[in-house]
Amino acid sequence: MMTSLGRGIATGYLIFVALGLIIAFGVLWSTKAGRRDKGQGVDIERAERAEPWWGVFVVVLLAILLGLTIWRAPWFSEDDSPKDVQVKVTGMQFGFLVQPTTVRVGQHVEFNVASKDVNHAMGLYNPEGQMIMNVEAVPGYTTSRSYLFTEPGSYTIRCLEFCGYQHHKMIYPAFQVTA
Amino acid sequence: MTTTTLPPAPAGALPYDDSEMPLALVQAKTRRFVLRVIWTSSAFLVIAGILGLLLRLRQGEVITLGDNFWYAIMTAHGLGAFVAWAGFFLMGITFWVLMKVGFPLRSFVLPEVMYWSMVLGVVGIVLTTLLAGFAGSWVFLYPLPFFSAGQWSDTVTGVFAFSVLLAGVSILAYCAAVLHTTISPALKATKDTLGQRIALAFGFGLLFPSRFKTTRGKEPYPVLPFAVNAVDMFLATLPFALLLVFEIIQSTGRGFSINVLLAGNLLWAFGHPVVYLLLFPAAATYYYLIPRYAGRELVAGKAVAVAWLIALTMNLFVWAHHLYMNYPDGQNVQQSLGTIMQPTTYALVLPSALSLYSIAATIWRSNFQWNVASKFLVAGIVSWLVAGLQGVINATAAFQETLHNTLWIVGHFHNMAFLNMGLLIFGAMYAFLPELMGKPWWNERLGSWHLWGTIIGAYGWVTCQMIQGLEGAPRRWAVLPDQYLTLTHVSLGFLALLVAAQLVFAYNLWTTLRKSPFDDPSAVQVRGGTQA
Repeated sequence: MMTSLGRGIATGYLIFVALGLIIAFGVLWSTKAGRRDKGQGVDIERAERAEPWWGVFVVVLLAILLGLTIWRAPWFSEDDSPKDVQVKVTGMQFGFLVQPTTVRVGQHVEFNVASKDVNHAMGLYNPEGQMIMNVEAVPGYTTSRSYLFTEPGSYTIRCLEFCGYQHHKMIYPAFQVTA
Repeated sequence: MTTTTLPPAPAGALPYDDSEMPLALVQAKTRRFVLRVIWTSSAFLVIAGILGLLLRLRQGEVITLGDNFWYAIMTAHGLGAFVAWAGFFLMGITFWVLMKVGFPLRSFVLPEVMYWSMVLGVVGIVLTTLLAGFAGSWVFLYPLPFFSAGQWSDTVTGVFAFSVLLAGVSILAYCAAVLHTTISPALKATKDTLGQRIALAFGFGLLFPSRFKTTRGKEPYPVLPFAVNAVDMFLATLPFALLLVFEIIQSTGRGFSINVLLAGNLLWAFGHPVVYLLLFPAAATYYYLIPRYAGRELVAGKAVAVAWLIALTMNLFVWAHHLYMNYPDGQNVQQSLGTIMQPTTYALVLPSALSLYSIAATIWRSNFQWNVASKFLVAGIVSWLVAGLQGVINATAAFQETLHNTLWIVGHFHNMAFLNMGLLIFGAMYAFLPELMGKPWWNERLGSWHLWGTIIGAYGWVTCQMIQGLEGAPRRWAVLPDQYLTLTHVSLGFLALLVAAQLVFAYNLWTTLRKSPFDDPSAVQVRGGTQA
């Protein structure tokens, strides 16, 4: 099941793919007319003059996307306000050490993610199986990421950075969020 | 539908034509060399393809494989499919396209170094992964190669790193050969100085025609992506080579180690540009072939030259988008790199967007010749658009919480590598092999089956992976959680179709190779097609 962000990405992607396919189909269909007039019915110079404007259009679209999203980059999303509880998550081949293992609904939790050996990543999945958090665990460093829990239940932590032959078994099955 | 024979360049329509062919001897040597690369890279595809199929069959719980062996296969598959097949093929075909646009190889030493170092490197990679158990993935993220959990030794890591370094030597030799070929007298600069040649090779003649003159009239557009790629890959391969040398030293047990964040940056300083080792030569090949089928010159002006200059510079400053999720506390430099490299990555959209515009404008209302080769090319171009849109999503840091290290990424790069560059490679084989082998394709209709089986099979498969990724399916898991099993089984059906299509292609190729050469490629009746 997708998260709301995942659904948003999928929707935006499909809209642009559909637009692109319509344009591509139009271009290919135009070769029918080209066959009739032996490809002579096109003003090539006009098409060349229009190319920079197509470039400008693409730049404007990308600038809008940049303006809308860059402030939501993970490293900008964290604030310095005090959190209700700190949870230390340490990755090691092939398991997670989690302390404490239980928090309450409504608590603003800061996860301090670290690694004892190689790169790992903490993928946090809610009881519905949606991935709600994704944090890299870099050896020698701590990465902090906070989350406000609104739903009780048993959450799962999976390793999302390839870490060796038991990578797929690196699961912490029951991080508890109580009502 | 016409046959797959490549149409001749229309007289006067192109800024270059076959009258600029080099001496017959150079042409014959280039033909033999390019064919050797095509057959060798195709053999690598067979191996890498089988390995990839095994990976997905295990994920679908159809077969069982040992855990470390699965990851060793994953490592070999990634390097084999991406570098040893697609990259190597496009490196080889580069010299054929360059010769066709009037830039013959000036020496065969560098291409031979390119060939043999790649072959030896691939042999080393196969041995260290499939036999010695190295399973660090194709990015072997430091320090994992030295934390094998008892599955392989540091010596194996050293040999693996040396093998990858040999592949890097191959890329460096290729870059040097391309620059030696393009920054050459073939540019026909009016003032034949090194500065003028360099400026012309990188498109300044298109931007400032009165300042940088050539007696060619207009430099061929395919030269631009080849030259840009050669410079970028040369610069990008060096830091990666440094990382590999560090790892080889560490494997000897001298107590040497590297900062993990630095290693990540060195890796991705190469790891992202290497995508363009495939895409830029692919763009150049589209620039060459599409005008041939459209019967008119590539519709391109100064904007394309500007776009390639942007690619030349920005390509080297995008690596940190692979490290968006590495933002440890207090590491402001890494976070700043992430902030800077989202817009620089976006800038790399321009060469693709403008190339797609040029290609679309070239096809628009042209008397386009539809055959298997041109259909493969058009399908590859559409995939370039689709995968490019995915690329914009991947370049957006805010989306990484949902996408990073999920199967979405795996779906994306298969969409780009197999359905864009891969379809171009098949299109180039259908287009070029008749003149390279001196014989036509045996059966045009089988080519159509190959086309549709590949498109439907591959799109079905990558779409399943992308949906799984959006649902949070982790990447590089030998055994996926049960919630993703249904879509894995669906994707296996599409993969079966994809494999069947490749078997059809192999049969067509095998039968073609056994046929006698023809004398006149323009007057051959091809089974299942119409007369040219």
